[in-house]
Amino acid sequence: MIRFENVTKVYPRSSRPALHDINLEVNRGEFVFVVGQSGSGKSTLLRLALREEQATRGTVLVAGHELGRLPHRKVPRLRREIGTVFQDFRLLPNKTVYQNVAFALQVLGRSGHAIRQVVPETLEMVGLQGKEKRLPHELSGGEQQRVAIARAFVNKPAILLADEPTGNLDPTTSLEIVRLLDRINRTGTTIVMATHDDDIVNQLRKRVVELDNGEVIRDENQGVYGAAR
Amino acid sequence: MRLQFILSEIWIGLRRNLSMAISVVLVTMVSMYLLGLGLLAQRQADTFKGYWYDRVQVTIFMCTEDSGEPACDKKAVTEEQKNAIKAQLDQMRPLVKNVYYESEQQAYDRFQKQFRNSPLAGNVRVGDIPQNFRVQLSDPTKYEVIVSSFEGAPGVGAVQDQKKVLDKFFKGINYITIFSFVLAALMVLCAVLLMATTIRQAAFSRRRETGIMKLVGASNFTIRFPFMMETLLSSLLGAAAATGLLWATANYGFNRYLNQLILDQAFIGVSDVWAITPWMVVGVAVLSIGTSWVTLWRYLRV
Repeated sequence: MIRFENVTKVYPRSSRPALHDINLEVNRGEFVFVVGQSGSGKSTLLRLALREEQATRGTVLVAGHELGRLPHRKVPRLRREIGTVFQDFRLLPNKTVYQNVAFALQVLGRSGHAIRQVVPETLEMVGLQGKEKRLPHELSGGEQQRVAIARAFVNKPAILLADEPTGNLDPTTSLEIVRLLDRINRTGTTIVMATHDDDIVNQLRKRVVELDNGEVIRDENQGVYGAAR
Repeated sequence: MRLQFILSEIWIGLRRNLSMAISVVLVTMVSMYLLGLGLLAQRQADTFKGYWYDRVQVTIFMCTEDSGEPACDKKAVTEEQKNAIKAQLDQMRPLVKNVYYESEQQAYDRFQKQFRNSPLAGNVRVGDIPQNFRVQLSDPTKYEVIVSSFEGAPGVGAVQDQKKVLDKFFKGINYITIFSFVLAALMVLCAVLLMATTIRQAAFSRRRETGIMKLVGASNFTIRFPFMMETLLSSLLGAAAATGLLWATANYGFNRYLNQLILDQAFIGVSDVWAITPWMVVGVAVLSIGTSWVTLWRYLRV
């Protein structure tokens, strides 16, 4: 589903590579935690997969697209196969919960009929039924992140990338959010989640890829957060 | 659904950025008004030329007893001299297309009619304008031939070429036209810069929305189209307002006022406004789409 082959990323005006000669393969339906300290290259990894950045060297393959050769106009098509969730939720403050989720389908030109069917289903799945008409500021952080997850998942993407989705949440809420991602994973969606929340990683016992200074220093199935140390 | 969604996005965008949209409308209006005035002035010059060149005449004034010209020697023209001039003019066909003889009474009547609204009319008596031959040329540019043949001839007081007078007038119109085109060009530049700034500002204020659109894989078209349409709508509104102003100028300024004051037929009218309107609208549309395309390409990349 996602493959990095000898990928190096050097940002302009930076001497040290953010990622250095990375090899990584994520199979369809996997749930992978990418862990590591701040600046270890977790976010860069996700940005490369989203094609927000391009690799300096090496090959990035996502959902069958070789991103280095993907023409600009086909980037939107790639992103329709990827859902994205961030630490800061990124909701539209003047739209309701329902409208925020529907927005993702509207901009893709989906029919009103399809939207009216899929959005409530998705909101129910993330546990937000009855809160469709709330505005983001009327929700708790955990609920806002659920809206963001619903928006990322409403188009049934093959891949869901989550960049520190629990970074702004308390431990209990964080666990609920990750359980929700786990449920989505069981529908067949590949999930890559960057985090430095050790509790969560240790509880879920999923595959863990650890980055340090832009290099993969550990990749184990059913791993824990700090096994290498 | 998609159309409805895009329309609502455009509406929200316009409402949120109302002051900028209004400024685009106004600046487009002023620039298109100036451009329109330039175009109308050009058409006015053409209309005048068509009107006057058809009528342009070389006038050969006869001597009167009060003539100041040395060639006359204070003697009025005789019948023989008049016949000789007429015969000579007839020999000059086909350069000479038509010759009209105008007696002192006829000259007086024509003057009274032409200047009926002017205080000048009251000061002129029969005999003040000498009897004359009005010569119409098949080629108005060759008036020199007539001037050189008749100037100083017996009985001829003065030879006056109207084209010379008119050319000065047309030069004046030309300067006005050039001036209004230069002003219009500056205003159009203003309009383009303002459109670009407006789009940049709108793109910045909606970066959250566009960011999400990009993330979920909206096409470039979907992301950029509302911005483009907002600019297009504002500028077309400006062009419509400019057309309204030009119509008012043509209708109230030219039709109602000048035409009655001076001459009929010689002035442009509302139909000329309608003739230039499509060009202005197409021009504005091309300008705003082009500007927004370039600006969005620079500031709203995927």
